[in-house]
Amino acid sequence: MKARKVKGLDPDGPLGDQLEKIVWVRTDELFAFMPRAADPDERTHLHDMRIAAKRLRYILEIAEESFGPYAATAYKRVKELQDLLGEIHDCDVTLPQVLDLAERARQEDVQLVRMRAGDAKDLQPRLASGGPNAQAYRGLAALATYHQARRELLFDRFVDFWESLQREGFRSRLEYAAAERPPSAEPSHDGNGVVEDLAVPSPSTP
Amino acid sequence: MAKAREVPGLHAELPFSEAAAATVRVRVEELFDAQEGVLDTEDIERVHAMRVATRRLRAVLEIYRPCFDQDYYKPVLRDVKALADALGARRDPDVQLEALSELAAAMPRADLAGIDLLADEVHEEQAEGNELLGVALAESGRSDLHGRLLALVEEPV
Repeated sequence: MKARKVKGLDPDGPLGDQLEKIVWVRTDELFAFMPRAADPDERTHLHDMRIAAKRLRYILEIAEESFGPYAATAYKRVKELQDLLGEIHDCDVTLPQVLDLAERARQEDVQLVRMRAGDAKDLQPRLASGGPNAQAYRGLAALATYHQARRELLFDRFVDFWESLQREGFRSRLEYAAAERPPSAEPSHDGNGVVEDLAVPSPSTP
Repeated sequence: MAKAREVPGLHAELPFSEAAAATVRVRVEELFDAQEGVLDTEDIERVHAMRVATRRLRAVLEIYRPCFDQDYYKPVLRDVKALADALGARRDPDVQLEALSELAAAMPRADLAGIDLLADEVHEEQAEGNELLGVALAESGRSDLHGRLLALVEEPV
């Protein structure tokens, strides 16, 4: 999946502002996959959403220091999301591989049983048992069941996790954090701390 | 997964292009420091570390794209992607074999023949992936990918 282009990036501009522009686009990109990715049959969509989560995660890894405090939490949430989608993807890759192998193993046995029958007019049922792959069928069936059931379980977790992100206000909090800048590390006039912003009254100011 | 090395001197007010140069330098060293022993299939953590380093480098190259001379940038990014693909071709079977080994330990003996049959196939994929990785590493050395990446940050837009 090709990443959306981020417009207006300025090589001479401040890092924090450029990263903010990228985070907006990457967040949009991620959210655009829902609600369609909440359909368990939309495998390609879910796979692309995982890639979008990865892109957002890497930008947050860089941007954490340049943004407000929620950016660090957002990074953790996106990593959790990406890991979960990665586990689902592994099931989506392994399940067809197991089913394909089981089918090939069965076809091998079919050929062997056919050879055993030779010129007989019909096949003796007993010839069909004890093929070279007979032992493997059971394990492959168990593997297929495991990956399919695990996929369903992980998918349910993904839907719950997405809902928890919504409840937490993930998107608006991330956008707010992306617009915040940490206090300057510039030393104060007396050399003992950061420069205080005297223009902002404290809550106790009458 | 190893934590990314810190990039010294990064702050929100730093010009984007300076941040690009500082970050890419650190990520390039991280990648090439992870190269040793990756073809050893007995120690799968090495290839994992190098793959993670490649992903991080690729991500920063894409994030800081406007800061680089595009004539230098495009072929370098293409070669980093090729290296990442080769690392993936080796790492994916490594992960799958590890998972199959855990499953084999947890499942009844009667199911092991099926798991072994799949593991045999995945071992073949691992060997093929290792060959691909060997070729990709040799190619990155021949084309001096390391030097070209460092030159990229010396050639600002």
